[in-house]
Amino acid sequence: MKAHAKLALVATTFLGITVSACRPGHEGEPPATRSEEPRQGGQVIVALPTDVSTLNEYQSAGESTEFAIIDLLFPTLMFEQPDYQLHPPSFGPRLATSWEFSQDNRILTFHLREDAVWSDGVPVTAEDVRFTFSVQKDKRVGSAGLEIKDFIKDVEVVDPYTVRFHFTRVYPYQLMDANDGHIVPAHAWGKVPFEKWRNTDFEPILVTAGPFRLASHNPNQTLILVRDPGYWAKPHPYLERIIFRVIPELSSQLNQLMTGEIDLVQSIPPREAQRIKDDPDLEIVEFPSRSWGFVAWNNRDPLFADRRVRRALSLGINRKTAVDTVYHGFAQLAVGPVLSSMWAFNRNLQQLPYDPQQAAALLSEAGWKERNSQGVLTRNGRPFVFDLAYPSTNTLRAEIAVLVQSDLARLGITVRPLQMEFTAFVAAMESGQFDALLWAWEEATKVDLTTIWSSPSANAGSNNFIGYSNPEVDRLIAAAREEPDYSRSKVVFDRIQEIIVDDQPVTFLYESKQLVGINRRIHGADINAVGVFFNIEEWYWGQ
Amino acid sequence: MVRWLLRRLGAGLVLVWLVATVTFALVSAAPGDITQRLNDPRIPPAARQRWRRDFGLDRPWPVRYAVWLRDAAMGDLGYSWLNHRKVLTVLGEAVPNTLALAGLGLLLEIGGGVALAIVQLRRPHGKGDRLITLASLSAYALPPFLVALALLYLFSFRLPLFPPSHMFSPAGELQHGLPRLLDLAHHLILPVIAIGITGMGAVARYLRGSLLDERSQHYVLAARARGASERRALLAHALPNALLPLITMVGMSLPFLVSGSLVIEVVFSWPGMGQVMYNAALGRDVPLLLGGTVLATVAVVAGNLIADIAYAIADPRVRL
Repeated sequence: MKAHAKLALVATTFLGITVSACRPGHEGEPPATRSEEPRQGGQVIVALPTDVSTLNEYQSAGESTEFAIIDLLFPTLMFEQPDYQLHPPSFGPRLATSWEFSQDNRILTFHLREDAVWSDGVPVTAEDVRFTFSVQKDKRVGSAGLEIKDFIKDVEVVDPYTVRFHFTRVYPYQLMDANDGHIVPAHAWGKVPFEKWRNTDFEPILVTAGPFRLASHNPNQTLILVRDPGYWAKPHPYLERIIFRVIPELSSQLNQLMTGEIDLVQSIPPREAQRIKDDPDLEIVEFPSRSWGFVAWNNRDPLFADRRVRRALSLGINRKTAVDTVYHGFAQLAVGPVLSSMWAFNRNLQQLPYDPQQAAALLSEAGWKERNSQGVLTRNGRPFVFDLAYPSTNTLRAEIAVLVQSDLARLGITVRPLQMEFTAFVAAMESGQFDALLWAWEEATKVDLTTIWSSPSANAGSNNFIGYSNPEVDRLIAAAREEPDYSRSKVVFDRIQEIIVDDQPVTFLYESKQLVGINRRIHGADINAVGVFFNIEEWYWGQ
Repeated sequence: MVRWLLRRLGAGLVLVWLVATVTFALVSAAPGDITQRLNDPRIPPAARQRWRRDFGLDRPWPVRYAVWLRDAAMGDLGYSWLNHRKVLTVLGEAVPNTLALAGLGLLLEIGGGVALAIVQLRRPHGKGDRLITLASLSAYALPPFLVALALLYLFSFRLPLFPPSHMFSPAGELQHGLPRLLDLAHHLILPVIAIGITGMGAVARYLRGSLLDERSQHYVLAARARGASERRALLAHALPNALLPLITMVGMSLPFLVSGSLVIEVVFSWPGMGQVMYNAALGRDVPLLLGGTVLATVAVVAGNLIADIAYAIADPRVRL
């Protein structure tokens, strides 16, 4: 989501991360470093690794590049601000100009702007908001985000420009959950019965309400957005077009960026960063992504069930060297289950050092004392040998697997790196059929530890695929979820992080940075953690 | 002839069914399914279960197979799970793109091969012959992706003569008529060469061999004796007979026109069948995978049938 409203300029440096939010529009002060007058027109060509599968968010599996394009075409009620470092995200106006809670906090009323129109000229009204809610809640549509609306009972149209959200309970993320999902056109899409949504191609009936609209889409080739002259919010984009080119091959993306065929690559691999930096026509914009990587130990496996063993493994892996080697300095060491860039992060947590002696001592305490003829640690005759799986699509993880293998070999542990096809890998992960694996999660701006760290519930398929289970953590996570006051929930989150770091259900490896490669002649771009196209309206071509 | 045709068509139908069945079994046995796309901590497990139910993945495979077979027999290949559109629509978009690329590539392969062989036979075992043999064997030995990358490096990055990828330039996407066609032609050149150049050597080798055989036949000698020029004896008399084995080769290449070359399509970002099927396999888009396989099998059957018929027409000794 992006922030756009002309609120106060929030520029904050926090843990070495600079995020500027709510940038002024065209009328405001131009950024200090650019002295020239922004020019109207031109196009930016962006590489896409795979084509979008849909432009209807409620058919989507939620891939971030797809989401970014949808966000250029459809409005949300509010703009989420990039201030999640300080507190749960705040919101600025977008389709809604203002909002307020009732006394008991169970009714949230939005006042919509009256000049908003769809690309076919029909006004955007409260009816569209109510229709969108019915789409989000409908089981036949089967939106991936259906559960987000669990605590919203109903959306009521008060008048064409006022809607009321009725909640069944009071909790900290009410605003965020109400805002989740883009508003879609009732007059155009309401004609499609819900049971047909999954198998309907919405492009022929695409009606949008964003700064850009769809000009053409040649599947697996090119998707072209053009500036929508009827866009109702300020500022209007300078750019005439954004062109997304499907280029599956990463090296082709980079080569075309260097020859100027394309202007922007959204994800540059760390090892290629220097090559791009050396090019005088290009620059790299880096910002902390919300993804963090780890070695997952299967906590159900007797091999990893003992907390001392897991701690020993973490102590025995030279994490700092691994992360620095593989990420070339574009990632930092992760410490616990909450990203260090989040407001809920516990800053008193201690990084586990690289300490093979202590690791060996812990292993011996847990019964791993003897060594067999090959020098492998054994306990009751069983050697310490396991597979470390990783998906074939990710070469960085292949490198990490080898480093983990060599570090643990020094402790007498045999690691067998196991490369797997991506879907097969995910299937093994979800079913718990693995010893250990390398994986990363991309976190939302909402801090909710439930799906990853609460004990996997009886109805299987929880995202806690490692089978971590600590009743104390379960209790605290539930408590944090209920606590409407974030400064009070912070205390609870701090405690949860301490326990999880103590338990080391996984070995925390890295928090990565996203590297965007962009043509230097594009000016005004403020690319940050909220999104690559955060302030797309203000991008323009310099001389 | 009619009975032969009916028998062949019947056998073809059985083959298509067999291939579809084996594909179905393989896809069902492959680990994971479409819901693995939802691997995001924000998406609750319930969403995956809902998707499984919606796609019918919660039903046992015999039921899924029976439903698919019933629909397919009636010409309904269902909807692509990844694209939210009819399988036939998705394939219908990709096939012409592949057809254009692979068809022109095949044309270059055969045309170039024939031309090379004729040049070689002007002075068999001469310098030119040996040089072309060496070159065509080397080209044949090169993997297509290497040829593609070399072409890209030389003629797109070093010498920016041709576009490095896609069917159209961004401007071409928004044009119509002739300018759009010219843009397409410009984009076709490198990938067509990448496809054609490796096979060209093989065609030349085949043809050179059979032309050499034919040339020493009595009928060619007889033609010369009746006063036909060397050139005429070669082109009008020996060549048609030498081309016969090529018909089989071309017939066997026909499926390639539909299935395309994954490597070339990925390197040149060409939106053809190769890419569509690759994405379908990775994403476990079962209906699209099955539909594409059926289409490719039909192409194999049709290719062989066409080759046999063409053979019968070209060679009066063959009776169907």
